[in-house]
Amino acid sequence: MKNTLQKNSKAIIVLAFIAFFLFFAARGMSGKDVVITVLRGFSAGSVTFLVAAGFSLIFGLLDVLNLSQGTLYMIGAYVGWTVYVRPDTFIDILTPVLLILVGFTLKPLWNRLAGKVQLQAKVRKVLSWLTIAVGIILLGLLLTRYPIASWDLNNYSESPISYSYMADQGLRIIPAEVTFDQISPVVAILGLLASSSLAAFGVALLSREEKLLQSFNWRKFLPAACLFVIGILCVVFNAQITAWMFALSTNWLFVIAIVVAVVAGVSLGALMETTLIRPLYSRPIYQLMLTLGLGTIGVQIVQAVWGRPEFVWPKPALFAGTGGACPATNLTDLFQNQCSTVILLGGRVRVYDEIFIPIVGVIVLILVWVLLKRSRIGMIIRAGVQDRQMVEALGINVRRVFTQVFSLGVGLAAFGGALAAPSSGLTPIMGDKLLLNSLIALAVGGLTSFPGAALGSLLVGLIQQFMIKYGQIGIPIPFTEIVFKPSPALVPASTVLLMVIVLLILPNGLLGKKE
Amino acid sequence: MIAKQNFFTRNRGILIFFVVMLLMPFLIGMIEGSTPAMVLSNSGSFSKFLEGLGIEIFIFALFALSYDLLFGVTGLLSFGHSMFFAVPAYLTGIALKTMHLPFWQVILLVLLVAVVQALLFSLVLPRVKGVTFTLVSLGLASVFHIIVMSSDMINLTGADVGLQGVPTPSFIDPASQRFRFYLIALVLLVATYIFYRRFVSSPTGRVAVAIRENEGRAKMLGYNTTTFKIVVMIISSITAAIAGMLHALYQPIISPSVADLGYTVTGLLIVLIGGVGTLSGAVVGAFVLRLLDFSLRRFIGESASFITGAIYVIFVLFVPYGIVGTLRLKKLSTKAGLKDLIARLTGKV
Repeated sequence: MKNTLQKNSKAIIVLAFIAFFLFFAARGMSGKDVVITVLRGFSAGSVTFLVAAGFSLIFGLLDVLNLSQGTLYMIGAYVGWTVYVRPDTFIDILTPVLLILVGFTLKPLWNRLAGKVQLQAKVRKVLSWLTIAVGIILLGLLLTRYPIASWDLNNYSESPISYSYMADQGLRIIPAEVTFDQISPVVAILGLLASSSLAAFGVALLSREEKLLQSFNWRKFLPAACLFVIGILCVVFNAQITAWMFALSTNWLFVIAIVVAVVAGVSLGALMETTLIRPLYSRPIYQLMLTLGLGTIGVQIVQAVWGRPEFVWPKPALFAGTGGACPATNLTDLFQNQCSTVILLGGRVRVYDEIFIPIVGVIVLILVWVLLKRSRIGMIIRAGVQDRQMVEALGINVRRVFTQVFSLGVGLAAFGGALAAPSSGLTPIMGDKLLLNSLIALAVGGLTSFPGAALGSLLVGLIQQFMIKYGQIGIPIPFTEIVFKPSPALVPASTVLLMVIVLLILPNGLLGKKE
Repeated sequence: MIAKQNFFTRNRGILIFFVVMLLMPFLIGMIEGSTPAMVLSNSGSFSKFLEGLGIEIFIFALFALSYDLLFGVTGLLSFGHSMFFAVPAYLTGIALKTMHLPFWQVILLVLLVAVVQALLFSLVLPRVKGVTFTLVSLGLASVFHIIVMSSDMINLTGADVGLQGVPTPSFIDPASQRFRFYLIALVLLVATYIFYRRFVSSPTGRVAVAIRENEGRAKMLGYNTTTFKIVVMIISSITAAIAGMLHALYQPIISPSVADLGYTVTGLLIVLIGGVGTLSGAVVGAFVLRLLDFSLRRFIGESASFITGAIYVIFVLFVPYGIVGTLRLKKLSTKAGLKDLIARLTGKV
């Protein structure tokens, strides 16, 4: 016992100092201010944690500092918003996306076919790039003609801002349905299938020949068949599904939106890892630069699709009730009226922002913790963080685990985005802010340590919220009459200061292991 | 051993570049139909426009050179490099506009602040290494960006609109004396480049390269690597400060975007396009990027930045050595191939 205390003495001193600071900070406030500030700190910490957890998992196992994590968080939010506010757009997009995926999930078949092709290495290479290029160009041509109901950035009454405003007011106008007028549906579906297959075949041709002749059975067609059937169903019953989704209660729609955001994040993560990150494992610095570049490109794409201005994600009905006995003072009132606010120790607390988000954060923390400690993949991840070569030597396919962990991390970030957006709103810069926060949280907690990510996020959230509160009431500087009021824009600076101080005392962070 | 060369043969490339860039406005002026005297008095319109573009490229090149020294030569990946550029730029603007200092004092002040800033970054250097240094530098730079953008300092920095109306001293006013400004920027770039080449081949520079290759070994050999890193940091900071100062004097607005991560990425992109650690790559990359960006914006419009991003990814994946680096590799293999061919032809295998 004494030994652990001695070993971690610096970390304990730093933690005690921060705790003292927070306690001292809380003394100057009234009771309800403290409750609200702490709850807000937990809320901000939870969102930061969702991004930072993915970060630390990815960095721990893969040694990749995924700087596009902030952008992926933002993409999760925007995808969720699209499902929630414009389900018709979502259903329209679903079909082409699924059909393209069908082509790529048939990979075993293409591998088998490509293995049979006997060509010279150079001709093979040229042919494969040619096939990929033709496939992608065909895809582009088809997609520009495919009918997708969408918003119009140039027309204010049809911009995302108006749609979210109307949804917030409870006016869910079902926009006009778009029809196949530029292209016949049969041609579109077959064309999408054919061109994605062509591209996938090109990719299969690129890979080395000895890998191609792997075992092959008909069960591998099952996922492709499922995707195909769902895609076709979506296009045939488009109107019915759209009407059903518009009629659905917003609570369920919210759940669907979050699930879709997470699925989108996971698939994006898998795609990124297999195509872009994987060739660069021998050049770690380039991985860093690549993820940084991808982050900036992602922001550009979001700006082009959803526009620059900020808009809101209306809260689901469960957290939006106002009438009757609201703000609620007891639990029965809260559940009967589904109040948006609740009175806690004299302070008015928003249910979604300050109670729901922290609860979800804790649940995710426990789930990921159980996954790491109790499951087989968790065991592999923990072992891989310790010693990657050894795990590989024991005959475990680490590459596959890499992809899984990367998608898990990105999925967590996308989940965080979809969870935070109803309280924070959506802007193209939301990712940058969170990237900085989660980087600080990680640096404070220890880069590869999962509990460190949780602790760091909590500290960052608490300190930021206390600084914001102090911006309103002012900090009396000791021994002087001056009252310093930090403006909200200066708040992130305080956490950076925390990071620099912690890193100067403990270069590996609070819970990071010593090298 | 490399044979001893004199100054002119050693720096042949950059001197040719200097002469070409010096003659460029006159040549363009001749095509346009204005005499050299008109170019000197800044009345040729197209040559004046090209001079403006040239000045922007030189500023980019200076910034990229300083980044290449830090990242390409010494191997310190800093994501806060935009701060080295933005702090002097803002300082120049504030000193001239609000404090009304004489110009030579502004120069001294900027150089002093550049050194202090480098020392501030160096404070964390001995403690944090590798990725953590990247994070800390990113954090420090974003603090500066936050401060610049915040409304507390709106009178000084102009917050998110940017710092406007910086009074440039009349003898290098970019509107009326653009050729002079162009000449000064060009001379500064060429002088910095020659100095950098000399520095990298000096004993100090060699240690910097050794730190990039294997810091532990350099330490074992008895070099105090931290001191060398600080030296590199100071040189890099001063160069970036010169670039930032030129930027502040040339551009009508210092926008806060020069302080954010995107500007560091621009520097990184230039170095990457040209070739990491090659120095001349920074100049080549600045030309390629600026001209590409300019033409894309002209012909495509808003989506130009998206294409620039795609180029970035393609370079990271497929051209890791950049233009200059790849050409050098090709040159080596061609030379070897030629030697082999000659040996075969003369029968001396």
